[in-house]
Amino acid sequence: MGVSAFRVASFLCLAIILAFFLCAFTSPAAFTEPRRLALALMSDEIRFAILLSIATATCSTLVSLVIGIPVAYVLSRSNFWGKTVVEGFLDIPMAVPPIALGVMLLTFFVRNPLGSFINERIVRFVFEVPGIILAQFAVISILTIKLLKESFDGVPPRYEDVARTLGYSELESFLYITLPAAKRGILGAALLSWTRALGEFGATVALAGATRFKTETLSVAIYLNLAAGNLENVAALSTILLLISCTAQVAVRRLLYGGSRP
Amino acid sequence: MRKFAALLSAVLVLSAVCASAFYQPTEGTSPREVVVFAGAAAAPVYREVAAHFESRYGVKVALNLGGSGALLSALEIARTGDVYIPGSPEYLVLASKRGIVDFTAFEPRALAYLVPAIIVQKGNPKNITKLEDLARPGIRVGVANPEFVCLGLYTKELLEENGLWEAVNRNVVVHAESCEATARLVYIGAVDAVIGWHVFYYWNPDKADIVWIEPDKIPKISYIAGAVTAFARDGDLAVKFLDLLASREAREIWRRYGYFTTLEEAKARAPRAVIEGLGRYGG
Repeated sequence: MGVSAFRVASFLCLAIILAFFLCAFTSPAAFTEPRRLALALMSDEIRFAILLSIATATCSTLVSLVIGIPVAYVLSRSNFWGKTVVEGFLDIPMAVPPIALGVMLLTFFVRNPLGSFINERIVRFVFEVPGIILAQFAVISILTIKLLKESFDGVPPRYEDVARTLGYSELESFLYITLPAAKRGILGAALLSWTRALGEFGATVALAGATRFKTETLSVAIYLNLAAGNLENVAALSTILLLISCTAQVAVRRLLYGGSRP
Repeated sequence: MRKFAALLSAVLVLSAVCASAFYQPTEGTSPREVVVFAGAAAAPVYREVAAHFESRYGVKVALNLGGSGALLSALEIARTGDVYIPGSPEYLVLASKRGIVDFTAFEPRALAYLVPAIIVQKGNPKNITKLEDLARPGIRVGVANPEFVCLGLYTKELLEENGLWEAVNRNVVVHAESCEATARLVYIGAVDAVIGWHVFYYWNPDKADIVWIEPDKIPKISYIAGAVTAFARDGDLAVKFLDLLASREAREIWRRYGYFTTLEEAKARAPRAVIEGLGRYGG
């Protein structure tokens, strides 16, 4: 049996999408050079921005997972009144541009009595590092939940039923059966969420600002350099961001497939 | 399945039709269009003047609005567009150094002047009356990022000249990423005061108040100037647009949005201030 035309067409589409992003990602090379990259890496401000980005993206991904796992599990396993409405509602934030989301959050924490109480008495989000984490969370949480729900959907509920008949509580069957079975999906969701958080800019800059050595993430630094017309730095910093993202992809994939699959 | 395929093809056809209706390539066959890259802050002025221009010359004006630096980058990468009007002359100097604008084709001139001022929340609840008040304990101050944003550079110079940079910096809770974001901080009420351009007040007089800085304390004022790009397709049309922006009727529009249109008006607020020159064409 030969290769079907459909299969050929599918591979062609795959090639097109790969080429599309490769073209985009290699283009900064026109504006930068290794020396510029090294210079950027030597700057205290950029090193700070890199560490801040990695730290905040990790925090927001963890928060997203802690809240997202139970939410996704409920959505995957339970049927309740108004579920369709809830699921539809959860899709809405995807339509809001991150910068608008950030301005909404800023307004909430400044203008709303509850918001300002939280901001002044509990955690300072406005113009502070927790604001970066919250902004990233606002942008990635829906994505995390969607991906987690799909992983849970892939685990047959029958496994849990069997565990329950063997005397496991609902929590135990979730912890010992469902969670391990969905492990790869969860790690994949975490990786994609982390990558998205790393690149988050709009909500972050609106809620946490672009304060040097305080809330200036790598994505904010890229924007600031663009705003100042420093194309060379934009290219250098974008390359750094891509390298970090690539490293994370390779590391997590190693973890997922133990090197058995590329 | 057949129903699904029919629906899918209907959606495809419909979206293709819609998309093509919106598709108006800038580099069309007709050169009778001026493509203007302009700082978004003065958008209302450019929109009004563009409408005048279109009705007078029958030539479409494509306004490409955004941050001055981002627009400069876009011009540099794409090498298309006829007119560049950044929010501050420093960008024009940069554009000239990079060969993006050509000062010999059209001598850039100041269209409107901007004076630094303290912008406070409506009603001035913290009773801020002078620059020194920004260093008072408990005042939350916002400034534009002093490294990358033009307004931030002016702010830093203003405070340093007056020996207040360190003292005010202790009260600075945020660096904003752009001029507009700096103004927004006060409108939303996220800070007590920002150092901004005087027009921030006129953009939103319901949400802010202005505290003029003592005239002798202002070392530098800014202005908006435009230039023809080095790759303009129809240089004459580009010059006509800039001429209209500098005309007496346009001056009325600028004034309506709070801009100073003569150096004298601006100097009345800042007599000692210098302004950034544009090479040998001086501002």
